[in-house]
Amino acid sequence: MKLARDLRILLPFMVLIAIWWGIKDGAGVSDRLLAAPPAVWNAFVWLVTHGVLAEYASTSLQMIGFAALLSFAIGVPLGFAVGTNRYAARALEGTLRYLQGISGIAWLPLAILWFGFTHTTTLVIVIYTLIVPIVFNTMTGVRAIPENYVLALRSLGASRSRIVIDVYLPGSLPSIVVGLRLGMGYGWRALIAAEMLVRQGGLGDLIFGARTFNQIDRIMVGMIVIGVLYIIVDRLLVQPIESMTLARWGVLRR
Amino acid sequence: MSARAERLLWRILPGVPAAILLLVWSVYWQIARPPPSVIPSVAAVVETFGDVVWSGGLLTDILASMARLLGGVALGFGTGVIAGFVAGLHRPTATFLNPLVTFFNAISGIVWLPLVIGWLGVGSALATFLIWNTVFFIVFQNTVLGVQLVPEVLEQGVRTLGAGRWETIRSVTLPGALPYILTGVRSGLGFGWRALIAAELVGANTGLGHMIFNGAEYHRADVIIVGCLTIGVIALAMDRWLLVPIERRTVSRWGLVTRARGA
Repeated sequence: MKLARDLRILLPFMVLIAIWWGIKDGAGVSDRLLAAPPAVWNAFVWLVTHGVLAEYASTSLQMIGFAALLSFAIGVPLGFAVGTNRYAARALEGTLRYLQGISGIAWLPLAILWFGFTHTTTLVIVIYTLIVPIVFNTMTGVRAIPENYVLALRSLGASRSRIVIDVYLPGSLPSIVVGLRLGMGYGWRALIAAEMLVRQGGLGDLIFGARTFNQIDRIMVGMIVIGVLYIIVDRLLVQPIESMTLARWGVLRR
Repeated sequence: MSARAERLLWRILPGVPAAILLLVWSVYWQIARPPPSVIPSVAAVVETFGDVVWSGGLLTDILASMARLLGGVALGFGTGVIAGFVAGLHRPTATFLNPLVTFFNAISGIVWLPLVIGWLGVGSALATFLIWNTVFFIVFQNTVLGVQLVPEVLEQGVRTLGAGRWETIRSVTLPGALPYILTGVRSGLGFGWRALIAAELVGANTGLGHMIFNGAEYHRADVIIVGCLTIGVIALAMDRWLLVPIERRTVSRWGLVTRARGA
């Protein structure tokens, strides 16, 4: 059974590689446009054995991890503060919606003027990209909780912190996690794009730097690694959190 | 607080964050006097905005960006829906394509830039490709989901009444899948808009992304700020006048299908 499952995932990629190889060799596409699968494999081996790939990949992963933690730590309390006060919610909803339309990457040129070509610039852009959907979704999540739950607990004498822990947090978690997942999708792309322009390490720097020297094989290794890492982070980290929250607390939303 | 004062407060509240920002920015600028190339004054930004509006430069950039977005989204939507229907109606195809779609969705958009810049060069074709690439996978996945979730009973019902395959798809599967397709379009547009700006930063000589990137080259923070604020206004306008009306108009159809599903 397990073999059949593996085959179902691997077969499409094997077909894809065959087509890729066929186009490359059959049509005689230049090495400056497309690299053949063995060349990509050799570039991968080279980058791994020389520790280059690990260095660039760890820079990107640290960046996204740090940005996600920070955005979560700031964004969720902020979303609670805004969501539980209807005046604050009214004041900030429009602004947040507006900011959501301005991608982090659009602020990148300004951030470069302010912080130079540094890790700070990249981090600021990724945090901005992540935090807006998190605050927005926390706020919407909190506001969707029926007020009766809060009133019921309060009439039983619950303190404010008790209400936050027992009602607001579980009630809004599904929505928060949706925000986190969307933010990660935007954030990972913003990170790659920022790294391309800031050029201080990271996978975006790796593939954009390889462009300058026409190292197509290296670009393609970088692209594959970016995809695989994103899938790993999404499937092994974000998705389990999502299904866990929905299974544990999703009931409350009914 | 009287009811009238409350109503007034309610109306002005959404403008409060912007007002506070403007106030802090003006006061800070008066006291600290930072170099205008880094933090321009409010007046300078307003003046620059007037300049780019009157010279027509802003309009040119907006039109260039919108044309790319429209081209890329239309292409992504068309190919995504068609491919989504094919995969949605034929399970083996969906099973085969699923791992590929997951992978290519993970590298959709800006990740392709270094490779594709060698194929298409700098310009509209590159930006359109990156948007298509972003929109396609999101629309495709949502279409497949929507098509697969249409209850088979409904399709069989129409077929027993004598409808052909095309008629069934047109009158049952399409309206049933529409809400999911639209969700895909909406989130695809969000990602596509971001991909466009990112693509224009490096890979274009016109457009809003190029405008702000150029602002950085010449150390014109005022130009960057005008560009960013414009990007936000356009995104907001697209959502309000394009997506929300489309969604509202299709909700009635959705409602119909949902009710039938419960029966």
